[in-house]
Formats: sequence, structure tokens, C-alpha cells
Amino acid sequence: MNTKEKLKQILIADLNLEELAPEDINDNAPLFGEGLGLDSLDAVELVVIIQKHFGIEIKDMEEGRDAFKSVEALAAYIDRRLAAA
Amino acid sequence: MQIAIQGVGVVGGFGTGVAEMRKALLSGSSNRSIIQLSNCGDPLEIPAFRTDTSRLTEFVPLKALRRIDNFSKLGLLGAYLALEDAGVLAEGKQERLGVVIASGYGASGITFSFLDSFINDGDICASPTYFANSVHNSAAAYISIMLGATGPSSTVSQFHQSVPSALQTARLWLSEGRVDRVLFGAVEELSELIGYAWCRQRGTTDSREISPLLTGTESAVPGEGAAFLLLSRKEESQKGYCFLDQVITGRHLKPGFIASPQDLLVLGADGRREKGADYAVLAENATVACFTSLYGSMPISPAFDLAIAALMLKEGKTFASPFSGICDFPATVAAGGKALESQRVSCLSLSDDDGFGLVTLSKG
Repeated sequence: MNTKEKLKQILIADLNLEELAPEDINDNAPLFGEGLGLDSLDAVELVVIIQKHFGIEIKDMEEGRDAFKSVEALAAYIDRRLAAA
Repeated sequence: MQIAIQGVGVVGGFGTGVAEMRKALLSGSSNRSIIQLSNCGDPLEIPAFRTDTSRLTEFVPLKALRRIDNFSKLGLLGAYLALEDAGVLAEGKQERLGVVIASGYGASGITFSFLDSFINDGDICASPTYFANSVHNSAAAYISIMLGATGPSSTVSQFHQSVPSALQTARLWLSEGRVDRVLFGAVEELSELIGYAWCRQRGTTDSREISPLLTGTESAVPGEGAAFLLLSRKEESQKGYCFLDQVITGRHLKPGFIASPQDLLVLGADGRREKGADYAVLAENATVACFTSLYGSMPISPAFDLAIAALMLKEGKTFASPFSGICDFPATVAAGGKALESQRVSCLSLSDDDGFGLVTLSKG
């Protein structure tokens, strides 16, 4: 399973997006506001989820802002960080 | 000051809403299931009364519920059902409404999930959502926010006396004029942790029946659920169920305490062996009823007794106590389907520390 698919499953399970299936999540749709509809509390939860499931700590909020744009961006960010580790 | 009960909202092992509670009262049966526990070492199974909160989506969109834990869902469903039952749900924002919740254990499921995340993944990975839900007053806060209630919002926990204590708070708010209505609710969830603690304390029992009026016999079965009452001052009440006359709490109740022997006395006896004899002594020669077999044993059981007592007073008739044929002390067990002879119904609950709560309802 690639990072994007794994990430979608984790988002649904850990953020309780019960009404969604992984295939319902558009790779390039915004995670916040329009799109997946996440909010600021989800952003905090996302930081925890990424560390818990991928061992990646997001300390730089500017870096996080870019990574949290979409599933595509977040998966790419995770893959980059894992490759650099 | 007399308080009027305007609406009742219940969800428990018997089902959801007053209609399903009434159906269980008439049939004398409830939906007991077997729950499996995975954290007791070996797999364990215990009988229990579980609840189904799926009807909550009739009131709140599924998306708005995604962060809300099971305990708060129970509370929200009870709250909406009580407002619907009172016919005030369509009023929209419930300004000057206070919310007070009683619970013995609180949101144990999410609280221990938060602690588990803290222990297993480290403090940096503790879930902020779990933390928010583990805050003691979170269920009452969800209810107040979703209903637009601007009155006080509080949670009272005094284990088996949580219900009378929270009722006293509700009376105070109404008598002070701080609010026009109070949504009083009692909530308990049967989480994995509570099930585990039950197993450790009482063992994994077989599928026995609850015999609450048989003293000296252990027959308790754990339950979960929510029971809500919408309260208002008598002079401002419209047609409702009945009136809340008195709420008394204390310790070391003596035999012969009952103010009016002709009143029907609903006992909170729930099959716990250690309290059975105490109920028998206090209710000796009284006319009693007991309904715990329909919703199980939990610290907030008295709230279900109040809901049933209110229904009896509204309808002017009694309901049969399930398994009422098994009673080993000299009390008269009220027959079901008869006209309610007394003007008042009292609900008695006893706690392990010799405490008691006595709540009396009347036709007014």
C-alpha cells in the first residue's frame, strides 16, 4: 500500500470520517475548509497522527502549512521525510 | 418550591424513548446482550444492557458527531428526546435553559483511551480530541452548545447519589430564577474499563435473571444509558408529567422513614447482594416496585426510576415489577395495570457508604 492510500485510511479512522471511504477522498482536494472540511483542531490532531503512524515530527509550522494542503502534498512530504531519515 | 417535569428522554437496554420504555414496562422484558471484554487477560463474556445511539442522527448530522465520544452521544440523545417529548424542540435556541448532568463514572471510555494514548505513544502523541472529550463537563458542554442553551452547564458526580445531588442543583437554579428551565440528565456508559472492573469485582456471571427483591443473592447485571427530565417551575409549566416534590439525601436512613406509607415506593435495588438486605429493612411493609431488571445496574439507576415514576403518575396507573414474584421480605409488590392509588411516588436509592437519596414525585 502506498503512502497516499495508507494516509487516507488513517485519516478516516483517526479523525472519525465515518461517512467517507478512501476512494471518496480526492488526492488534490484541500484538507481544510472546502474539500475534506477539516478544521483547526484536526490540524493539531494531524500533527499527532503523522508522528504516531510515521514517526515524523512536524516542528516547523510553515513546513506543515504546505504539507497540509492536500493528501497528495502530505503523502509527498511524508515520503520525503522518510527518505531523508 | 414545586418543580414540574415537562418532558422525559430515555435511552437504555429497553430501547430509545418513552414509547419503547413503556413497551418494556408492559412486557416486562428488555434487551440484554452478552459483551466481550478483550483486556482481562483471557477473553471474558458478561451479560449487560447495552444501548444504541443511532437515533441521534435524527437530531444532529453525522458529520457534527465525529469528534463526540459515546458518553456524550448518550447524553445528547437523552437531551434531544426530552425536549422532543416536551414539545419544545421546535422552539430553536434554548435560552435561559440550564443543563446539569449526573454520572457516577463519567466518560470512562474516552478518558482511558486518552490515558492509553499518553502511555503507549508518549505525551507528545496524546490525542487532543480524546483530551477534550475526557474533560469532566464535556457532555454537558456539547448539549449546551448544540441546543444554544445559555444558562449554567454543570456535571455532578457523587457516585450512587449523583442523581439526587444533580436534582438539588437543578432545583436551586430554578428557585433562584437563574433559568426558566433545566435539562436534568443522568448518563452512564459501560466502557471496556467499567466492564473489566465489573468482572474483577463481581466475576463473570452466567446469564442469570436479575432478582432485585431477593435479598442476599447476587444477580446484578451492568447497564448503561441516559435518562433526562426537562424541569420548570410549577407556575410556569404547561401540561407535563407530574411534579418534583422533594429531594432528600443523607446517611444512615432508619427503618420507618417513609413519610407516607400509602405512597408507592420505587426501590433502586439492582441485584447487588450487599445492598439487598438494606432495601428490605427500609421497605418493610411498604408497597414497592422495582424496575432495574429493565435497564441494569449503574450508579445513575435512580434517574430511570424517576422517569418510570413520572410515567406512572402521568398515566395514573402502575406497571408491574419484572420478576416481582420473587420477593423475600414483607412488602407488597404493586400489581401492574392497576389504577395508581397514591398521589405520590417516591424513589429510594442506597449507596455503598450508607448514603441514601429519596426523591418524591406527585400528581401536584
